[in-house]
Amino acid sequence: MEVIIVLLPLALLLGGVFVAAFIWAAKKGQYDDLETPRFRMLLDDQNIIKKTTLSIKDMK
Amino acid sequence: MMTCIHCDEPVLTALFSEEDEQKRLPFCCYGCLTVYQVLHDKGLETYYEIKKSSALHKRRAPVDIKQTQFQFLDDTNFLAEYALVGMSGEKTMEFYLEGIHCLACLWLIEKLPDILDTVATSKLNLDRSVVTVVLRPRGKFSAVARELNNLGYRPHPIKKNQDIESFKIQEERSFLMRIGVAGAAAGNIMIYAVSLYGGASGEYAQLFNSLTVVFAIPVLTYCALPFYRNAWNAIKNRTLSIDIPISTALLMGAMMGIFNLLRGIPENYFDSLTALVFLLLLSRYFLQKIQEKGLSAQDLHYFYSSESVLKVSESGTEEIHPKFIKMNDVLKIRPGEIIPADGIVLDGTSHLNNSLLTGESFPVKVHVGDPVFSGTQNIDQYLLMRANLIKDETRLGKILKNVENGWAHKSHIVNVAGHVSKYFTLVVFALSFILFIYLYQISDTKHALEQALTLLIVTCPCALALAIPLTFTRSLSKASEQGIIIKNDEVIEKLSQIKNIFIDKTGTLTYGKLQINEIVLFQDSLIPVEDIIFNLEINTRHPVGLALLEHVKKKIPRKWAVTDRQELLGIGVSGKIEGRFYEIKKDKILEDGILIATFEVEDTIRLDSKDTITNLIKKNLNVKILSGDKNEVVQKIAILAGLPSINALSDLSPEKKSLLIRSTPHSMMVGDGANDAIALSEADVGVAVLGAMDISLRAADVYLTTPGLIPVEKLITLSRETMKIIHRNIALSLIYNSLSVTAAFMGLINPLVAAIIMPLSSLTVLLSTFVGTKTLRNLWK
Repeated sequence: MEVIIVLLPLALLLGGVFVAAFIWAAKKGQYDDLETPRFRMLLDDQNIIKKTTLSIKDMK
Repeated sequence: MMTCIHCDEPVLTALFSEEDEQKRLPFCCYGCLTVYQVLHDKGLETYYEIKKSSALHKRRAPVDIKQTQFQFLDDTNFLAEYALVGMSGEKTMEFYLEGIHCLACLWLIEKLPDILDTVATSKLNLDRSVVTVVLRPRGKFSAVARELNNLGYRPHPIKKNQDIESFKIQEERSFLMRIGVAGAAAGNIMIYAVSLYGGASGEYAQLFNSLTVVFAIPVLTYCALPFYRNAWNAIKNRTLSIDIPISTALLMGAMMGIFNLLRGIPENYFDSLTALVFLLLLSRYFLQKIQEKGLSAQDLHYFYSSESVLKVSESGTEEIHPKFIKMNDVLKIRPGEIIPADGIVLDGTSHLNNSLLTGESFPVKVHVGDPVFSGTQNIDQYLLMRANLIKDETRLGKILKNVENGWAHKSHIVNVAGHVSKYFTLVVFALSFILFIYLYQISDTKHALEQALTLLIVTCPCALALAIPLTFTRSLSKASEQGIIIKNDEVIEKLSQIKNIFIDKTGTLTYGKLQINEIVLFQDSLIPVEDIIFNLEINTRHPVGLALLEHVKKKIPRKWAVTDRQELLGIGVSGKIEGRFYEIKKDKILEDGILIATFEVEDTIRLDSKDTITNLIKKNLNVKILSGDKNEVVQKIAILAGLPSINALSDLSPEKKSLLIRSTPHSMMVGDGANDAIALSEADVGVAVLGAMDISLRAADVYLTTPGLIPVEKLITLSRETMKIIHRNIALSLIYNSLSVTAAFMGLINPLVAAIIMPLSSLTVLLSTFVGTKTLRNLWK
């Protein structure tokens, strides 16, 4: 059980780092728009699909 | 049935794009077709592929493209108020876009830099339908707005109100930080609490217990601050809010936890209480988020006076924003434009559509010297007018003022949460007191006090406080997916109590524009009647002519050579085809002076109106028509809608409408025009339908983004079912609470029991919320 003396501060430190990171991100405005980014991410893929279908058409 | 390729509106008589003869893509209107062609020409057809596969899909209305140049956007006065200029000369402006509805819109709008090279970046916020456009130094916003307009999204520039906006953003971010901290702390506390329940003892128990206290302190102070604030405000205003029992539980829990720590007893309720704070904050955050999507007063500013107007001065004609109109300015009103000020016609003759201001369905003719009013629409010819009254002094401005007064009049109900917590708080305090007295007699003061406090902690109405916002959030978001935008949760509660529905006629029950029902033939003519109409009216702007043209277009008429075509204002058109003289006069069509056909023009009732009204009556609602139109027109529509004539009230002024509403309790008003606006604001629930004027949007609690009355019926069902779920959730959480009270009286309560009952009750109400009711599940399908 003595290992707790080492592990406990480590766990607390790790947790603290994540909370700090979260607060930093929130303050920076990373969570201001929760809707659009998840869709925006999909669109890049869509564009690639478009390009490939176009090139297939061109070959024909 | 076919649906429009662009807006997915079901179409009976489709228009087909001419270029793609083989594809035969159906469109519902010329607006949608035009946008399709623009996208086609620019090689942006991927739009339709993305749209098809888009998971996000709100209903939208057919495109209505306005012919305007948006020059006022380049005006320096305007830019100073609406745009931000960056260090290197780049300009930023935000536009609210009408018609944003799916993933493909996002794709298209963010493609703007590819379409226009003056645009540096364009970012769309799907939630708010707001695009932020950054322009390179020499770019013009008018070009951007024209492009957006051509793509079928009508742009409304948003004024930068930085103080309010940054305050709102700060509030929201701090809310998020509270949630984050509460979540992290609750999670960590759980680890140590489980070790304690698992039997940690001695030094470890002490260590873990102090750690839970350390973690709980920020949660019970910083994170729970909103609860304390609300509770304090409620006490100050002598009302009861659900935050009072919550705050009591949190404070008692904190006291007991710290007290036990000092006594060296490793026992506290922090695991349950911090998890509770986290969940409650989360549910309130969701409700707030969904309400922001709706009709915030700020959003409605976007709609208000965002069209441009032509100002004529000695130096020529310029396009200005209506905000900058001054007294005695001479304005040139284009056909189709809404008149922006009260004044007098200086030159020109035209017809005005007064329906939005007065409810009249037939256009009114105006000549030189006639007065015109702000909020009416110019239909067919250019008009030159002098502005006599502007802004607040216009008839429309006065209505707007009344609307604001109406808001003040509006009844507020004690919401369900408030109602329940009133009794709840009283009962819980009484019970703790009884428990204290009871234990005081059989044991010592310390034990009695401890148990009484414990009762206050474990009866915290957490399930209740969680379930109510979540149920509303779910209903609000589902409704908005269906194109019904509801202002807030209070509106749903009021809706469930509605007994009387007042419906405006023009534009709500009817289509709001003149249509031809049928052309009655009397005699054969040399060329078909359709061809006569098509060739004579082809360039008309007259509302009856347009209705005729619209009617015959479906029959694909032939083109003929017309000579001596003449259009006489107020009389009709005439011309020679194949040597014969044809006339369209009032409601008659003549060939060489002989009557060959007649037709009837009217504002026809919507296809779905009758069924919806029948269904509403079946739901025990008292449905009435309120109209500013003439009695005979209103009676005719009442018969078609299946309503007795005593329920059709006509010739009502905006003030009379609102008086009627005010004197009727539990009333709902459905309308679109400025003449409905005061009534909308005074009704318990005001519903603005698609195409409503900005002023009525401001007055309304609900905005329907799809045409017709069907959403009204959905709205009633939605609210009634939502309240059913709320009541069920209240019952469920009260059952859990009586369980914990019983346990407390029997002396069985301890942190472990609380840690089981509290999450279990929350879980039950969550399940109940998401399962909903059968009717609701059918409604969402």
